[in-house]
Amino acid sequence: MADEIKCACDSTNVALFSCSGASNVGQLSNQLAIELTEKGVGKMMCAVGIGGQVPGLLRSAEGCDRVIAIDGCPLNCTKKTLELAGIGIDRHILITDLGIKKNKDLRVKGSETSDLLEKVSDILAN
Amino acid sequence: MKIEVLGSGCAKCNKVKEIVEKVVNEAGIDAEIVKVEDIDKILDYGVMVTPGLVIDGDVKIAGKIPSEDKVKEWLTQ
Repeated sequence: MADEIKCACDSTNVALFSCSGASNVGQLSNQLAIELTEKGVGKMMCAVGIGGQVPGLLRSAEGCDRVIAIDGCPLNCTKKTLELAGIGIDRHILITDLGIKKNKDLRVKGSETSDLLEKVSDILAN
Repeated sequence: MKIEVLGSGCAKCNKVKEIVEKVVNEAGIDAEIVKVEDIDKILDYGVMVTPGLVIDGDVKIAGKIPSEDKVKEWLTQ
């Protein structure tokens, strides 16, 4: 995939961070960030790298025009991680607010992802 | 001092290189300026958006063109 990338300057300058946590909603938030990246809504970036204070990842987040944080549950780990690093969030998506109950299932169902993608696309369009 | 300009050759990346060269020449800084176009090397720095600027291994900026003053500050501090 990397070979296809000619220049990252032309890409949409929107960062997508997801919680990727150990639950159904954590994994759904990760999958959602992937789907939104593939749809060209933004570029998925590494939230854990922000927590780890990795300079390149921090500078990349700072260099984006908009930041979208996707959290699985109200613990809001992604939002808090970005805030602790001083990175402003433009939109915050919370999966449990979208009708999905948190559980320990780590296998994301395709139907859940597509339903969620539709809801989130609508939210981001407004 | 090693200065790496990250980006594969578009206008923004070239602009960063131009600014860096100007500051280096005007301030008489002894530096090696390298253009890094290999996306794998750019990702090795954790940089997800270009243009990027790395000074002696330290990522200073990504996704934006820095001002001349900022580059001068980084190179002379």
